[in-house]
Amino acid sequence: MAADKQTAKAQAAAGGVGWAPYLFCAPVMLYLLVFQAYPLLQELYLSFTQTSLLSPGQHDWVGWRNYTDLFEQEEFSQVLVVTLVYTVACVVFAIGIGLGTALLLNMPFRGRGIARSLITIPWAAPPVAVALVFIWMFNGQYGVLQHLLNFLGLSSGMEGWLDNPSRALTAVLLTTVWQIFPFTSVVILSALQGVSNDLREAAVIDGADRFSVFGAVVWPAIRPTVMLLTLFITIWSLRRFDLIWLMTQGGPIGSTNTLVIELYRRAFTYRELGEAAAVGMVGLSLALVITVVYFRLTVRAERAAGH
Amino acid sequence: MKTTTLDWRQALLMIVILGMLGITAFPIYWMLVTSTTASTDLFASPPHLLPGLSQWHVFREVFNTTDVGNWLINSAIVAVGTTVLSLLLAVLPAYALSRFRFAGIAIVGLALFVTQMLPEAMLVVPLYAIFGQLSLLNTLTGLILVNTAFTVPVITWILKGAIDGVPIDIEEAASIDGCSRIGTVFIVVIPLIAPTLAATAVIAFFHGWNEYVFAQTLVSAPELHTASVGLAGFVGELSTPLHSVMAIGLMYTLPAVFFYLLVQRYVVAGMTAGSVKG
Repeated sequence: MAADKQTAKAQAAAGGVGWAPYLFCAPVMLYLLVFQAYPLLQELYLSFTQTSLLSPGQHDWVGWRNYTDLFEQEEFSQVLVVTLVYTVACVVFAIGIGLGTALLLNMPFRGRGIARSLITIPWAAPPVAVALVFIWMFNGQYGVLQHLLNFLGLSSGMEGWLDNPSRALTAVLLTTVWQIFPFTSVVILSALQGVSNDLREAAVIDGADRFSVFGAVVWPAIRPTVMLLTLFITIWSLRRFDLIWLMTQGGPIGSTNTLVIELYRRAFTYRELGEAAAVGMVGLSLALVITVVYFRLTVRAERAAGH
Repeated sequence: MKTTTLDWRQALLMIVILGMLGITAFPIYWMLVTSTTASTDLFASPPHLLPGLSQWHVFREVFNTTDVGNWLINSAIVAVGTTVLSLLLAVLPAYALSRFRFAGIAIVGLALFVTQMLPEAMLVVPLYAIFGQLSLLNTLTGLILVNTAFTVPVITWILKGAIDGVPIDIEEAASIDGCSRIGTVFIVVIPLIAPTLAATAVIAFFHGWNEYVFAQTLVSAPELHTASVGLAGFVGELSTPLHSVMAIGLMYTLPAVFFYLLVQRYVVAGMTAGSVKG
């Protein structure tokens, strides 16, 4: 509200809006048109054609066939399931661990500043380097994680991780969550710092225990941030490529094959650009649907809360 | 009695936090251990848990026997270029989104948001064709341009949040003194949002430094490989000793991590000012 008033004041001071905002936005819009919108439209067009990577200039219009083919293939339902599992698990664990870490780092203790910086290290590490070291740590014979499991008595003998269809997705997920949870924890931590201490203390004086203080004071204050993070982690997980591709290339037997990996395989392994584009469009539609549903739900929740 | 329970709690908290830090730092520590373990000891059971102090020469060796120096320079060029171009492009639209209500503002906002959904892997085929027409294939300039397309939306949005927090009265004073609108942005607003600007610069730099998909597909000349592509080339490659690969991984990771630790105070402050408020 205050921001709106400020904006109105700024516009009045400038003697109306004029061309300024359009001139200011033009370079970026032009830029996004060339590097995002135009390629996206190309991709949409490709999805209705049969086009080979070997002769990309030759498009045979096939209408909806790429899409109908996809949904008739049994392997494609596996791709959707893997994508769903990967995305939901990323969101649940990244948000859950991020929230827990943020609450811990918000407590008073010695060396808190240093801990807050160090916790964010994975976020700065290049995904390619992360993939390489995790491949080595997950090595079934010599990997340090397998040694750890054996040492803890949780496993006996040597088992593969990335070459094992029932464990590869877990390994890829652990790696992804390791890389992204520091980001969620930093963002939630900054939201926590906005929670009023007076309210918290008042609740404690009223005899509230830890959990009721969280429910009554802390959670309502950080909820919008957590909800927005949930949306972003969902969208980013749907499009994550580098870690999965380098660790497993979607295998073994499709156990880590998400939509983006499938799209890349169809384009560069099978050289079917039209089919690849259709896979991409399915993924994008999924992201759009989730976003629209998200905004509908938040608007409804805000109305229910009386805003 | 009460103080002892408090101390006990504090100790427990410290242990949990140290455990957490151990988990976040371990893979990078493990790169260090692996790169400094002699080849013959890499497959020992149980594994060596400490770095081998006599093995530092591996870093000099990979520097002399691989192109890692060249890769790191290419990554740095791409990262710096992406940072500069992103900031140049993002400041004015961020200002417009914050200070003006104009027809089409929703379209600009939507365009910035939708780009978050587009996977790089999806756009790579059409971009390859576009780059071919613009003679941008096999150039670091091309990588800078395409990376910027992915950083500019986020950065614009974060800067918009920071500009929201700058009181308008300061700008009015400047405009009364005869400062033009653009002059006001550069002379008055930019110094006030410097911490957020630093934060977005770091975000752009990391994106350029870490990016893999475009660097892999739009550039094929080996002398233009970035460190991500050079390092990825070792996946499934059996002839290169593991400790060399990890040494290269460490040389690629540490600059990013150190740089980040130096400036992370600004990153967090800037993100708080910008993105969190939505």
